[in-house]
Amino acid sequence: MSNELISKKDLLDLTGISYGQLYRWKRKDLIPEEWFIRKSTFTGQETFFPKEKVLERIDKIQSMKETLSLDELAERLSPSSSAMMELSRKELLKRNIVTNVSLELYAKENGTAEEFQFEQLLELFILDKLLSSGDISLDEGRMILQVLQEGRGRLNKSKHELLLIRKLGVTSCLLVAGAENIMVDQGSRVTVMLSVESCIEELKTNL
Amino acid sequence: MKNGMKGNLILNGYGSSNGGHFNEVKLNGRGIVNGDLECVLFECNGSGTVKGDLKIDRGKISGSGKIKGGVNGNDFTIEGHGSVSEGVSLVNKMNISGSGKIGGSLRADEIKIKGKATIATDCETESFQTEGQFAIGGLLSADHIDVKLYGESSALEIGGQTIKIKGKKRGFFHLFKPFFPAKLTADVIEGDELELESTNAKIVRGKNVTIGPECEIDLVEYKESIHLDDAAKVREFRKI
Repeated sequence: MSNELISKKDLLDLTGISYGQLYRWKRKDLIPEEWFIRKSTFTGQETFFPKEKVLERIDKIQSMKETLSLDELAERLSPSSSAMMELSRKELLKRNIVTNVSLELYAKENGTAEEFQFEQLLELFILDKLLSSGDISLDEGRMILQVLQEGRGRLNKSKHELLLIRKLGVTSCLLVAGAENIMVDQGSRVTVMLSVESCIEELKTNL
Repeated sequence: MKNGMKGNLILNGYGSSNGGHFNEVKLNGRGIVNGDLECVLFECNGSGTVKGDLKIDRGKISGSGKIKGGVNGNDFTIEGHGSVSEGVSLVNKMNISGSGKIGGSLRADEIKIKGKATIATDCETESFQTEGQFAIGGLLSADHIDVKLYGESSALEIGGQTIKIKGKKRGFFHLFKPFFPAKLTADVIEGDELELESTNAKIVRGKNVTIGPECEIDLVEYKESIHLDDAAKVREFRKI
């Protein structure tokens, strides 16, 4: 994801929203506080936003606000509110949320379950996402599950990043909270870098 | 909040309690609650102290109450001299008439201030109405901001849809310089419809901007229209 910033002025121009809307959405936590980046410019202080993220978010809000109230939207978009969601195994497959392969792997590790809580769903969802992208092997999938389960309960409280690093054919899996820049030595390669927050969001829109 | 079986806590004169869950809590005199308090109705007349968080349906401090924690609930009123050392988060309405001090942020659907309010960080609401003074250490964000200035007020930033700041009417006495000037100071003011008087700001940005008398503004950026009063000092303005 690029680190390009957009000023508040340009953002309002580009999206056609008003100051009133922007502040209202911020109050409702539809646009997270961390995205408001204050910088001083030659004309005084200005607020900037991560361009790609904020444009995508505003687009999402605008397309959904016709059908949902702002509070429902906040529920949907904020990662800290994982509403009581439970889905059965059949439902998951029927609605194409995850594939059978990942379900089987998950069952092998955790025993077969018919109902899945949100946290389990999230683990399953991340596993499936990576497996179907072809970035990881089944063994690495197992490792990821293990790490995610260690972090269970903390995942939606702060921003986490899931990393997979390979060196000389050996893989390590890391779950990092609040990581901005991660450097690795030359021999290592970061094969996967996934924001758990965006996965939660994606999963919620799928449910 | 369920209140079927809960009792009341009434402290008259000197007294202390360790907190807990109640239906009604009244601190008349110098009551002290050492701990978190959860109740439907909270009243503090006199100089009561709650050393913990307060969770209420409705609450009122008339006298000089201190909450050494945060406040959560529906409605909260400070009449007299009240202080809350952490944030206040309300579903409905915050009323401050007298002097209120909040050591964290204030969130409510509606905020009315008559008197003086100090808020350490952000103040977020749908409707913000004041007649009096306020000092906000962070962002004041509201759909509708309606301020009648008495004395000096300040906020770091102000943002919202409609923002109206009215200076003091001085009538006959406008010949003399007022002893306590009515003034609002902010770094940045941003909104769609802005009507400002007696305001000092570095930057004002808006769609339709009216700058009234006694304003001193370094830079105004407007989208559609601007109206400058003759008595306003605006260093620079431009259409964006």
